[in-house]
Amino acid sequence: MNTSLKISNVTKIYPGCVANDNVSLEFNSGKIYALLGENGAGKSTLVKILSGVIIPDEGKICLNENNLNLNSPLDAKKNDIGMVFQHFNLFETLSVFENLIIDSDEKREGLREKIDTIMKKYNFSIDLDIPVLNLSAGQKQKVEIIRCLIRNPKVLIMDEPTSVLTEQETSELFLSLKKFSEEGILIIYITHKLKEVMRLCDEVAVMRRGKLVSISQVKDENIESLANKMVGQNLKTIKKTKEKASSDQLIRITNLNFISEDPFETNLSDINFSVNRGECLGIAGISGNGQSELFQVLSGEIISDKNSIEFNKNYIGDLNPQERREYLMAFSPEDRLEQAAIPQMAIFENVALNNFKSSNFFNNGLINESKIKEHSKKIISDFNVNTDNIDLKSQFLSGGNLQKLIIGRELITSPDLLICFNPTWGLDVGAINYIHETLIKINEQNKSIILISTDTDELLKLSDKISVIHKGKLSNIMNAEEVTSEKLGILMGGGN
Amino acid sequence: MIKIVKRDQPSKTIFFFTPVLAIFLTLVAGGLIFFILGFKPFEALKFFFIVPIADKYGFSELLLKATPLCLIAIGLSFCFKSNNWNIGAEGQLTFGAIVSGGVALLFYDQEGFYILPIVILAGAIGGIIYASIPAILKTYFNTNEILVSLMLVYVSKLILDYLVVGPWSNPEGFNFPETRQFSESARLPLLFEGLRIHAGIFLALAAVVISWFVFYKTYLGFQMKVSGFSLKTAKYAGYKGKKMIILVFLISGACAGLAGVGEITGPIGQLHREVSPDYGFTAIIVAFLGRLHPVGIIFASLVVAITYLGAETAQIFMQIPKYTGQVFQGMILFFLLASDYLLFFKFKFIGSKK
Repeated sequence: MNTSLKISNVTKIYPGCVANDNVSLEFNSGKIYALLGENGAGKSTLVKILSGVIIPDEGKICLNENNLNLNSPLDAKKNDIGMVFQHFNLFETLSVFENLIIDSDEKREGLREKIDTIMKKYNFSIDLDIPVLNLSAGQKQKVEIIRCLIRNPKVLIMDEPTSVLTEQETSELFLSLKKFSEEGILIIYITHKLKEVMRLCDEVAVMRRGKLVSISQVKDENIESLANKMVGQNLKTIKKTKEKASSDQLIRITNLNFISEDPFETNLSDINFSVNRGECLGIAGISGNGQSELFQVLSGEIISDKNSIEFNKNYIGDLNPQERREYLMAFSPEDRLEQAAIPQMAIFENVALNNFKSSNFFNNGLINESKIKEHSKKIISDFNVNTDNIDLKSQFLSGGNLQKLIIGRELITSPDLLICFNPTWGLDVGAINYIHETLIKINEQNKSIILISTDTDELLKLSDKISVIHKGKLSNIMNAEEVTSEKLGILMGGGN
Repeated sequence: MIKIVKRDQPSKTIFFFTPVLAIFLTLVAGGLIFFILGFKPFEALKFFFIVPIADKYGFSELLLKATPLCLIAIGLSFCFKSNNWNIGAEGQLTFGAIVSGGVALLFYDQEGFYILPIVILAGAIGGIIYASIPAILKTYFNTNEILVSLMLVYVSKLILDYLVVGPWSNPEGFNFPETRQFSESARLPLLFEGLRIHAGIFLALAAVVISWFVFYKTYLGFQMKVSGFSLKTAKYAGYKGKKMIILVFLISGACAGLAGVGEITGPIGQLHREVSPDYGFTAIIVAFLGRLHPVGIIFASLVVAITYLGAETAQIFMQIPKYTGQVFQGMILFFLLASDYLLFFKFKFIGSKK
């Protein structure tokens, strides 16, 4: 049976921003549709409207010519719209089976049979009786998908499903999605990754700033054309000129171990690597494999054995971040809003978070506000932060501008080593380009970078050497030229 | 058509205007309530807000009530500005009163200049000890400080109850639930003959100045602020975040404890069951009405103190229950929170569309 889903003139206005501006789209079963756009383009709002989480200000949604009234996620389920969100909605401590039946009103016994049939049909193999916390990200996603399939959905919406998957898991997911599509389920695939659109989808709708800017057949497009539609301008491509880095060793990590008391953290075992001056070491991995712990150990938020970290011929493993900064290290954490900056504080106050003795931000225990402000103004102009008001609370900066401020704050003291963790996560393409250019510039000035990132393309673009972290262990360090994203994918999944 | 639009950034003018708006709305709503109860609204409001402070004695009473409110609110502002929700100031006040009262009782038959400072210090330490319980539980055991600090209020009140009825009750007191009178040397001196206003007001004023300086001018204050917003950030910056959290609790406990000292060594001069008419809770309203700013808190404590006096006058002259005072305090907080909406949003009038 054919399914058609029609969105007509949907508008959703939030205070200060139009999330969806008069969006009309039509989907028919048998095809896989991509909804493409940058962060903040309005994809998620549209999807949330389709799944009943958000009620639109104006507009209609029709499924097979029936007008739908989606006032809650329950309404979406009743109308056979299934949704797999980017962040899993699973109870970690409950078993897979319990998670699957938790929102179902059918009988338990019948469901078990039904689930078994679904798993057999699509070649899913998951133990139904183990707790969800023992599953990999890919398996968790399958649980979410099965939960939708139990209800025989007509429409299946996938919101950025590959952000936590390895290359191999992604391929598996795509095979399943194609199979669902052949069976008549209408699939809407939300992403900002262009390669995936090219690989998986038949039709692509591009959104930008809340508006629908184009609908086209994927076969008529290529990556560049889609990128330009998504960003709305022609992008220059950045490339790092790879020079021979010096053999002058800057930092060396020896036999570093970290055992956490928190069961949700990853232990680090036997980490060894070194970085030379002017070099960028990339550390790849799927999120949750110890990156955050590694970052904290390197920054000094987690203190380790004194001799495990040698920086510029000093042993600094037992120093806290402030003390390490004095040795000319700088840190840019992953979480901009909860760690690297405090949104409720003014820009200049956030600048004071990176405090050197020589910067004289605080004299004899008193705040030297004029000094901090002077310094902040310099960062804003040197690093293109789009504001001239340093008294502004930093929550009013866009993600890109906030990241520029943070990177600027860390770099303006010209450190020898910058350690950054997912520096372009969630940023728009323009800001990503700027950050990448800045990082390349640092290497050119013979300064070093440790780049921990979950974005393989970014790592391949910026690194001289690459290693992969998996379950708290680092792989061998490889030369970036010899590495392909396929190879990284295998290592990220724990293969050899 | 009226549209609600988000402000690009909160308006500074509105920030200081909303407390005034909240007070105004409270007066209007209060007038309405009086009207429904069958009183003339303006006359009733006059009894409530003007009559009580119309003479010298009334004004002294106003300052007397405002002193503990101001002192506690200053302490609380340290906690609240750094996102620590200590709502147990009433308990810290009570425990401060217990400790300082206990010390004062040790000296009940002695005189000497050294007694008062010891008594005051004991009160501050009592508050500190009591505030350290939720602080340590929060930082090292991840408990919720709102629950712990609130529940401890009732514990301290029961301890006080036990003491004044049992071991500390006045041997010559005919089993009244109160202790002996403290000696003169353990009492905060009265400022004017015949008025009850006492030297505790200087403690409050000193707290205002010191807190302003620490919070806005020192590195310590900066670290407290950062730690309060995000412990992760504090760790990343290299601050001792957990210690900062404990510190703000201790400061606020000390202030509440001092307020307790003022209550028992000022006008009362002994420990009894009701050392505080819920000053510790009302001070939460004062802190927010004063925008957590030291100067704002001075004004807010005066405004809220009137509701205590007004409730008493209204009870005497209009036979309204004195709990009306609490109704007014509640309304102030309610309208303040409601008008804070204007901080982030503004109304925009636009001509009819289409």
